[in-house]
Amino acid sequence: MTSPTNLSVAVRGVLRRAVDVFRDEPEIAKLLHQQLDRLDEPLRVAIAGKVKAGKSTLLNALVGEDIAPTDAGECTRVVTWYQDGRTPKVVMYPRSGPPTSLPVHRRDGALAIDLQGTAPEQLDRLVVDWPSQSLRTATLIDTPGIASASTEIARRTWAFLAPEDDSLTEADAVIYLMRHLHSADAQFLESFQDQTVARASSVNTIAVLSRADEVGGGRVDGMFSAKAIARRYQAEPTLRSLCQTVIPVAGLLALTGRTLRQAEFAALKKLAHSPREHADAMLLSVDHFLAPDHSAGSSDSETPTSQNALSREIRHSLLERFGLFGIRLSTTLIRQGTDTPSGLAAELVRRSGMNELAEVLHTLFTQRSDLLKARSALRALEHVLSSSTNAATKDLGGDVERILGGAHELTELRLLSAMRSDEVDLPRAEHAEAERLLGGSGVAPAVRLSLSADANPAQLQQAALEALGRWQRHAENPLFSRVAAEACRAVVRSCEGMLTNLPRE
Amino acid sequence: MPSSTQIEAIDLALETIVRYNRPDLNSRLRQARARLQNGYIRVLVVGEFKQGKSLLVNGLVRAPVCPVYDDVATSVPTVVHYADAPVAALVRILDSGGDPSSTEGRVERVELPISELAQHISDQHISGNGSSNTTPRWHHAEVGIPRAELAGGLELVDTPGVGGLNSVHGAATMTALPSADAVLLVSDASQEYTAPELDFLRQAVKVCPNVACILTKTDLYPEWRRIAELDRGHLAAAGIDAELLAVSSTLRVHAIRSSDADLDAESGFPALMSYLTDRVVGQADLLACRSTAHDVLAVTGQLAGNLRSEYAAHSDPQAVGEVIKQLSQAQQHAEALKERSARWQHTLNDGVGDLNADIDYDLRDRMREIVREAEEELDNGGDPKKVWEQLSGWVEQEVNSAAAANFLWATQRARWLTGQVGDHFSVEGAEILPKLRTETDDALNYVRAMQLRDSEPFGIMQKGLTGLRGSYVGVLMFGMLGTVVGLPLINPFSVGAGLLLGGKGLTDERRRIVARRQSEAKTAVRRYVDDVIFQVGKESRDMLRRVQRDLRDHFTERAEELNLSLKTSLQTAENSVRTSKSQRERRLVEIPSELKHLEALERKVQNLLPQPGSAESVAATPLPEAPLHLTASTR
Repeated sequence: MTSPTNLSVAVRGVLRRAVDVFRDEPEIAKLLHQQLDRLDEPLRVAIAGKVKAGKSTLLNALVGEDIAPTDAGECTRVVTWYQDGRTPKVVMYPRSGPPTSLPVHRRDGALAIDLQGTAPEQLDRLVVDWPSQSLRTATLIDTPGIASASTEIARRTWAFLAPEDDSLTEADAVIYLMRHLHSADAQFLESFQDQTVARASSVNTIAVLSRADEVGGGRVDGMFSAKAIARRYQAEPTLRSLCQTVIPVAGLLALTGRTLRQAEFAALKKLAHSPREHADAMLLSVDHFLAPDHSAGSSDSETPTSQNALSREIRHSLLERFGLFGIRLSTTLIRQGTDTPSGLAAELVRRSGMNELAEVLHTLFTQRSDLLKARSALRALEHVLSSSTNAATKDLGGDVERILGGAHELTELRLLSAMRSDEVDLPRAEHAEAERLLGGSGVAPAVRLSLSADANPAQLQQAALEALGRWQRHAENPLFSRVAAEACRAVVRSCEGMLTNLPRE
Repeated sequence: MPSSTQIEAIDLALETIVRYNRPDLNSRLRQARARLQNGYIRVLVVGEFKQGKSLLVNGLVRAPVCPVYDDVATSVPTVVHYADAPVAALVRILDSGGDPSSTEGRVERVELPISELAQHISDQHISGNGSSNTTPRWHHAEVGIPRAELAGGLELVDTPGVGGLNSVHGAATMTALPSADAVLLVSDASQEYTAPELDFLRQAVKVCPNVACILTKTDLYPEWRRIAELDRGHLAAAGIDAELLAVSSTLRVHAIRSSDADLDAESGFPALMSYLTDRVVGQADLLACRSTAHDVLAVTGQLAGNLRSEYAAHSDPQAVGEVIKQLSQAQQHAEALKERSARWQHTLNDGVGDLNADIDYDLRDRMREIVREAEEELDNGGDPKKVWEQLSGWVEQEVNSAAAANFLWATQRARWLTGQVGDHFSVEGAEILPKLRTETDDALNYVRAMQLRDSEPFGIMQKGLTGLRGSYVGVLMFGMLGTVVGLPLINPFSVGAGLLLGGKGLTDERRRIVARRQSEAKTAVRRYVDDVIFQVGKESRDMLRRVQRDLRDHFTERAEELNLSLKTSLQTAENSVRTSKSQRERRLVEIPSELKHLEALERKVQNLLPQPGSAESVAATPLPEAPLHLTASTR
């Protein structure tokens, strides 16, 4: 496999030449410079979805801190970037006029952004710098919801991610949140299809079945149902061609798990060890849980200590942080013997599906970040070239073509996307194997060859050789169509790449 | 049953009028009676999927009648109504072989225990995804359950949320709106209203008398009060006048299990139930009362008029002349009504004509737009075989919602026309308009599915042949040229030319086939839309014709009745001159008692109507058939 850096180097080279060609056109040169800079920056991952799908909550959970403001009503109204920075800083970019720095306030740990009277409609974006380990690998972009009741907000997200006027999408990859598959979701994902380079949209999109804790009406086993639903969505052909995979995630649970406080654990413990029927009555509904005088729900007043133990404020904050499902789950876990805060936190994160999401993000986005960034840059360059009349662009166009045709990683992406939308007519078993070998579930050799992660190089080599032979035969198969044969040849190249890059003993 | 008192009153009236030998009045009362008996009050439960619609219905009837599952569960509408013993049935409409007019024998009903219903419906969901089954899908399920709440004729319809509000299912729900007495839009407390939900509400309030918004799952979301406030704000901003009720099905289940009245009240279900019984059923009841009272009073009024004129004639033979004069005046009045009746006929015929043209135009316009967009898409899209599935799905969905919108508009216009025609009669006092039951039976079911015929499979054989043909010509052409300069027929040049021409032949052929597929796809879309226009157009024309016939029959009957009554009165008055004295004496004794009888009946009927004080609360809301009492308009 050619190493990703080769591609990056080539892309950098062509970008530099382009800057040189366009030095007389400052606007374009600036744009190209930005693209160059972007290659050195972390991957940009946009979080999109319908209104109230839990985008900000998921962002907080990914960062592990309460930075994006969340609310019961519609909350995010401006496209907000969260990037790694040495000190906390908020900068507001209006549609017209110079950017302004905003004061950084924290309220109860969460960031409070005061627009200082500027209407959200006049803002292009907010950029938040935040010192965080998680933001170092990827810049996260929070977007307002689509299908919002206020059409203006919905339009802004569309404009950001799927611009009508052919200007460029600024995100390299998308996490798409949905609570259930609505027609608006599919429409949105479709519109995010790439137009020029690679036509590979499914490769940079992950769908997340969000707020998964609410699936079963807050039952403790709700997450299992959520997983079943996610599996069904994964098998659905329309979704397969639109995104890589569907993962159920309970964002709130994950966030709380990552930021569990000692006091909260103590309160939950108290709740878990209060009499069973009393706790159950309390957890029947949010109103019962928050009832000011709790003896109204259960008439027995023999356990005043445990009732008075949790003040209303504590109960309120518990509910806000855990949700009813989280409290039910936590008390159940504590009763079953989880007796340390760290144990509970780990269990909450595990059950929230966050680990799976992080794993998928790592294999599909972070490991490929150079590739995805190069792809974005090439796309931007192609766009510039197609709209330019400069005579020197022909050369550049040739270079871009050469990179596009030569980089096997891009071929892989393109093929993966084609395979997911069923444009390659391989038999079913071969289809699945080809997808895996092309890096559909991750680019590591072990993943491609479906071996365990600790397989030794000899095993890897053995498996790769076998796959190579098998696919060389497939490529020669006269019964396969031209498209399928091309796919087979690409798989062979992937196998060869793996073999050359395998560490030698 | 609340309507039993009304039926009693009508029976009494029927008994009373037997002796007057007026078959026309008799049939009028019998019609009214039949209307009361068959009356049911339909409540549609709609919403996006996974909002808790089925759970809401289950909570309302306190029994697990609708299947509930964490994934999408309801795939067919489930109608829940009263029955003496629990029963369930699945209904499907069989294809009668292209004869959409015969509704008999096309309906298949399968009875089964309620416990198995869920399994059958969800089975369909899994197998129904392929939508290529040979047997038609279940059309709807019916569940009868002995519950006091439903005994008033309440009928709850749990609609499938599959695909969301703006899908084919959603369009089907839309067309069901005009036949519903109330709509409950279910939305859970996790978030405020979204754009599709508000659009739906906007449509619903136009055609349905009672629209309520139900906020479910309040047990799960701490901020449900905020959400309720936000939703109210959205409703107010959109100008939608609908009540918002918050409920929790989970609490309801717990309350039923532990028979805890406080918890039940907290679940919000008693409030919802009382909304349904007081507002929806109450309103329908009030409407039934009014029309019953109106029918009976109209009948007794005409009879009493006859008797009074007879009494006057008998009691004062000298004044007979005066009575006859008055009666002739009244008959002139009736003549005038007849003249007006000619005019209302005109209004009706013209109105229906206009309506037909407008509706047809609207339908064609909508469909043309869809065809245009689809064709554009096909032109840009390359080989249509690849995008066909998506495109046909899109076309079907668009066509469905366009047909639904067209139907809603037709219903609105038809109701307006009823008011217009009713105006001609309004001089006679309060005239109750006939209730229009505009129901479609899903014309789109008869439309054949769109299919892209693959007329020219372009396989290896065809490719080989085409390539061979091209290369043969090339080899021959250049080979012959070569022989002129002394080269053999098969030489490198001729072979090269053959390959070149063969390749060109292949590409040309491929391009030709794609172009051909494109035009075939366009034809398929056009044919489908044509089919839809044909079927839906027929459906809406039929509906309008039904409306026209109903209105004409209704108003002709009224005119006839009035005429006959006056004629009888005139005849009796004229006869009275010739009657003997003894006969006259006898009638003078009889008539007051008969009149008393009639008056007693009138009083009884009047009692059916709510007292002014209590009526306020119900009458404050707009009544279903909007122009109930048309105030006199002089024409």
